[in-house]
Amino acid sequence: MIAENNSGGRAKGTGATIIRYRGVVKRYGAFTALDGVFLNVHAGEVVCLIGPSGSGKSTLLRCTNGLESIEGGDIEFEGTMLPRDERALRAVRQRMGMVFQSFELFPHLTAQQNVSEGPRTVLQMNQADANQRAAALLDKVGLADKAPNYPSALSGGQQQRVAIARALAMNPDVMLFDEPTSALDPETIGEVLSVMKKLADEGMTMVVVTHEMSFARRVGDWVAVFDAGRIVEQGPPRQIFDAPTTERTRDFLSHLGWSG
Amino acid sequence: MTLDWGVVWQNRDALIKGTATTILLTFATMAIALPCGAVVAVLRLYAWKPIRGLATAYVEFFRNLPLILVVYWAFYVLPILTGFGVSPLLTGLAALALNVTAYNAETFRAGINSIRRGQVEAAMALGMSRVQALRRVVIPQALRRILPVLASTWVSLFKDTSLVSVIAVTELAYVSMQVRAQTFRVLEMLTAMAIIYWLLGYPQAKLVDWIQRRYAVTE
Ligand SMILES: Nc1ncnc2c1ncn2[C@@H]1O[C@H](COP(=O)(O)OP(=O)(O)OP(=O)(O)O)[C@@H](O)[C@H]1O
Ligand SMILES: [Mg+2]
Repeated sequence: MIAENNSGGRAKGTGATIIRYRGVVKRYGAFTALDGVFLNVHAGEVVCLIGPSGSGKSTLLRCTNGLESIEGGDIEFEGTMLPRDERALRAVRQRMGMVFQSFELFPHLTAQQNVSEGPRTVLQMNQADANQRAAALLDKVGLADKAPNYPSALSGGQQQRVAIARALAMNPDVMLFDEPTSALDPETIGEVLSVMKKLADEGMTMVVVTHEMSFARRVGDWVAVFDAGRIVEQGPPRQIFDAPTTERTRDFLSHLGWSG
Repeated sequence: MTLDWGVVWQNRDALIKGTATTILLTFATMAIALPCGAVVAVLRLYAWKPIRGLATAYVEFFRNLPLILVVYWAFYVLPILTGFGVSPLLTGLAALALNVTAYNAETFRAGINSIRRGQVEAAMALGMSRVQALRRVVIPQALRRILPVLASTWVSLFKDTSLVSVIAVTELAYVSMQVRAQTFRVLEMLTAMAIIYWLLGYPQAKLVDWIQRRYAVTE
């Protein structure tokens, strides 16, 4: 039985709890993808979700912003339960940025338009302000010169950085990353990870599903290890990577060839 | 057998009028079938279940009936349904529109379905509603993909308008056949008709080829 994590041992865990997962259950038909997940995410913290394929990491992220509904337990965001109603859910989604493994940039829009699309359509911001915000964010991810390019004319790493800028354009309180570097060539992984590191340093609250163990160790404040729809161990990276307390964590890490 | 090409020239006014009607029918049919096809496609994809079923039934019904049958059917059924005589032109237009709307609906549906689910999720993750995601993300992309298909449908439609001649719509094919019947100049009239259809159809086909190259999907 894994107890709810408290702030003990958390590096930056002094902020308020922003997301609280309490016994979250998600089923697809007869299959249980999440089987009672407990986890707290505090303000300004980077929480990394690791674990074998199919263990439920993406599912938890998708439940967090309501792309999937849950069958049991509850998810609290900024002190209130995640609503079921679509309209209320949309308001919550605006507060959470999401970055996908496959980027999912809008191919019919330029980099600049991809970033300004959310403010324009969702926040009804005027064109000039939206453009200004987009330009600033593209600059922040190091792509000011790519503003007029369509996604098809960008490398994978550049596309993912535009996708990060697109999510940031809504001024979210939390950023959710689902394996942001898994679809990238090794040469471009670094540029995306360094943008994420910069965000973390600025105090952005982040939940990151990743197979980049060195990132989880270096940048993560808290690491949760998933297996078969449950968190089998969670704690600061030092504990998870140097002194794992469960067999499942040790198995998973040795399977990856992690050697501390 | 001697050929008398003068017959074509003597009947030029009728032929020009017929050609104009053919072009008008093509434009009018598409003007109806594009918006209606889009509506049927959206109903088929997103409406309340029974409506969805109706839309699907409509599409599958008309897509799989020979157009000429629909033309005859409209000719006999429309007056009963509406309670008054409908002109051949309107009847022909209705039949063509029913048929092409079904085709366009299928084209739109396939286009919308070809857009990855992740695109809608990315839009919704920004806080967009389903309708906004459809309008801002799915439809603009789907339109690009289906433009070549719509263009092919257009070219087929242009030729298929000749089928409404069976209910005496005075378009190009009907006019040609009438002149033939009056003058017994079969070969001349068939040739003239072929040349007019070809001269009008060929540039359209070339345009479609160009559109297909221009909008080939690159992701
Ligand atoms: N829409 C769905 N329908 C049915 N089963 C699903 C669906 N989505 C996910 N699953 C199942 O739920 C389980 C958890 O999937 P999830 O994508 O969360 O895994 P993951 O930990 O993110 O794995 P990976 O590292 O491969 O991305 C898997 O067994 C998957 O097959
Ligand atoms: Mg996953």
